[in-house]
Amino acid sequence: MLRLVIKKEFLSSLRDIRLQISGTILIVLMLTAVLVGRHGQKEIQTQRTKAQSAMYDKWLNQGNKHPHSAAHYGQFAFKPKPVLSFLDIGLDNYTGISVFLEAHKQNEVQFSAAQDSNGMTRFGEMTAALILQVLLPLLIIFLTFDIFSKEREEGTLKLIHAQGLSMRQLFMGKVWGTYLMVLLIYLPIIILAYLLLDQRSSNLDPAIGSKFLSLTVGYAIYFLVFVILCVLISGFARNSGFALLTLLGLWIASCIILPKATANLADKVYPAPSQFEFRNAIKKKVKNGIDGHNPSDERLASLKQKVLDQYGVASIAELPVNWSGIAMQAGEEYTDRVYDQEFSRVEEIFNKQNRLSEWVGFINPYLAVRNLSMSLAGTDFHHHVAFAKAAENYRRAFVKKMNKDMEVNHKPGVAYGDYNVGQDMWASIEPFKYNLPSTSKVLFNQWRSIATLAIWLIGLLLLASVYAPKISKL
Amino acid sequence: MKPLLHILSFEWKNLWRSNVLKILLLVVLGAGIYGIFFGKFEIDKQETRISQVQQYERHQFDSLLIWARLDTSILINKEKYQKAVSPTGVGWNKHFTYYLAHEAPPAAGLCLGQRDLFPVYYGFNVTDLARQVNAGELANPMKLLTGNFDLSYVFVFLFPLLVIALFYNLYAAEKEGGTLLLLQSQSISLRMILFSKGLLRLLIIWSLATVLLLLGFVIQGISVFEHGYLFFRWLLIIYGYCLLWTLLMGMIVRLRKSGALSAMLGLGVWLVLTLITPALLNLFVMANEPLPNRAEMIHTLRSLNDKNWGSPKSFVFDKFYPENPQYFKKGDTTDFNKWYYASFTLLDKESDALNAQFEEQVGRRNALLEKWEWLAPAAMMHERLSQLSETSRQSHLEFVKKVHTYHQELKDLYYARIFEGEQFSYQDLQKLEEQL
Repeated sequence: MLRLVIKKEFLSSLRDIRLQISGTILIVLMLTAVLVGRHGQKEIQTQRTKAQSAMYDKWLNQGNKHPHSAAHYGQFAFKPKPVLSFLDIGLDNYTGISVFLEAHKQNEVQFSAAQDSNGMTRFGEMTAALILQVLLPLLIIFLTFDIFSKEREEGTLKLIHAQGLSMRQLFMGKVWGTYLMVLLIYLPIIILAYLLLDQRSSNLDPAIGSKFLSLTVGYAIYFLVFVILCVLISGFARNSGFALLTLLGLWIASCIILPKATANLADKVYPAPSQFEFRNAIKKKVKNGIDGHNPSDERLASLKQKVLDQYGVASIAELPVNWSGIAMQAGEEYTDRVYDQEFSRVEEIFNKQNRLSEWVGFINPYLAVRNLSMSLAGTDFHHHVAFAKAAENYRRAFVKKMNKDMEVNHKPGVAYGDYNVGQDMWASIEPFKYNLPSTSKVLFNQWRSIATLAIWLIGLLLLASVYAPKISKL
Repeated sequence: MKPLLHILSFEWKNLWRSNVLKILLLVVLGAGIYGIFFGKFEIDKQETRISQVQQYERHQFDSLLIWARLDTSILINKEKYQKAVSPTGVGWNKHFTYYLAHEAPPAAGLCLGQRDLFPVYYGFNVTDLARQVNAGELANPMKLLTGNFDLSYVFVFLFPLLVIALFYNLYAAEKEGGTLLLLQSQSISLRMILFSKGLLRLLIIWSLATVLLLLGFVIQGISVFEHGYLFFRWLLIIYGYCLLWTLLMGMIVRLRKSGALSAMLGLGVWLVLTLITPALLNLFVMANEPLPNRAEMIHTLRSLNDKNWGSPKSFVFDKFYPENPQYFKKGDTTDFNKWYYASFTLLDKESDALNAQFEEQVGRRNALLEKWEWLAPAAMMHERLSQLSETSRQSHLEFVKKVHTYHQELKDLYYARIFEGEQFSYQDLQKLEEQL
């Protein structure tokens, strides 16, 4: 009996001209988004790989020079374009693309695409995520708003009831019938998207398969939540017009208005410092010490005493190693600590802001799926930070190596310009490589969103089983 | 004329009695007021940041003026005095960091535009500019992505929805309510009746827009009298935009479909024009017109810098003096400070050329978007509003131009002293202070 209802719902919606049109539009949009998006992602990734290796070449062929000059010459790190960003571009247009790595200084990841574009960019990019998160729910609304009222108006609801079918069964039949329809649109395209992945994509991110699978499941749950919600509301609506208005109102509030209001609110609740305050705090801490009572000249004096004691000599001139190299590395390590503190303070503020939207996800599943999808696609804030940290660690490692070489090999008494190293030294620094966070890490970061979707699903199923029998048959 | 007024007044009474209209208007009004306050909050935040750096700058410069008058026969005063009067700075520390702010134009709070993507001030000294002005403002990318809930957002996104909500059952309500036959039996044509009903709704929407815009000007403290022209142009754009949506809904009503179908059609058009077309345009342009690799800029500058330092001093001077003969003095080929500052001019020249190249590439890409902009009236309207409010990317570029000019002026003052081998006099510093 249940199967019959599912079949009936599925077939009748398949024959509905409104669905045929809007479904086709959705499929065409999805195809465009996936194909063009994948093409664009590949182009951008190729460009960045090229730029990365060109810059590494420049590093290798910088000629002979003092290691510290080489540290100033510096290197670059380019953010790889995550493979799944063609499904969900997330923050990619608003975060920087590359970072200059040089001695003494932690630079920011710079040059976002949005800064180079006109206002049109703010309207978003057509990706699968936009279609799946925003447009497909609309289709679900169109499919379900009159799912009960039509039968009520035509009098078939009483007939079906007379056949011995319980309201609960009928309700679930309608839910699964609609859901099947949604899957019919969703699955082929998601499979196509999967087929577009190639060997190169798994080189870039070995966990791509499991991320893709989680993404697919996440969206499938989101649609189910939406279908049950819509069927439930239309079951209790006075008439189809009222159901439609309610559902559209809900859609506009949760997909269009709430996300913006939430992000804006978060910015008010957890204000971030300005660039000026941020840089000043760093300058102050480097100068006066992290606790404010350990100025840089005192730090240097105590380091000097320590090194002199270590080598059992009385003055810098008698040291068997290069004092500048030691001092410079100690300076680096101190500023690194300051940078870590200040950068993670700002990072924590932004995380708090974003977490607010994750909490609001509990009343707005759109936000939950948006955050989860962005995260799995590798385009959320966590990924941006992970890249920035990887680049920074790489910077620290190569600057340290340069300082160490200076300490050991640049003999005291030899002029700065007279101690040079060459390509062997440059080549001993491996090219920068960044591994995207693993699937489990991503899922752990997004536990709130996952919990939200689970709670919504279970809650709605419970609600449905309690309230479905109370849906009026007249 | 009389029947028209008659219908209008009847329809008004009809509408006013239904709670739907009141709720809709209240929701949009509420959203608009929220948007106005949000915009004010954002602009206030930017202004606070600007005044913060300006205060800091003035405070720092005041110390320079005090230091320049210190009695240098006392040892501890010597260092401070040197810091104040050496145009080259002391050691690796440069003389002074100047700030230039991009003050908020009057209507910036009504349409924040692209202003949140860029810093509203830059700090720089007389060394090469490019490496000093490419730092961004600290901003949560998530907030940049979701965008600003300002008044322009309410006009661009929510007003069309209001139009749809007021129009979708313009015809269907009569039919479904059973009054259609009654109307058709009247001496006035049905078209006239529907037109009048539509006109009334448009007038309501325009009034709401006017009220909101007035509120926006008042709450954000923008004088309507002083900026009457600005107000008028805003109003004109919004009226035009609402009219466009009214016409679109009019076309849908003409199809004489059921209320539910008309609402869906309206929403479909809204989706296409505000969400789908801009997103598709962005997708195609992003995939086919790559953005310049701006890291090239840093690389070019570091290479040139590397060459400057790795070559004899004549490498820099041979390029610098022919282009800046006013600084040339016989026998000046060894001075470190002259060489050091001359090298920054070479870097500036190089980066200006490269930047022009980048902007050309970016310009091509944005021109492509502008060419197809008419397909996405919502994006077009938003762009117009942000141009009107001077919050578009273009306004930022103009600000950057001002930064370049200011930097050049400062350089002229500094270089004149550096290449004379002179220190700043107290009057020099006073002159610099006036420029702050």
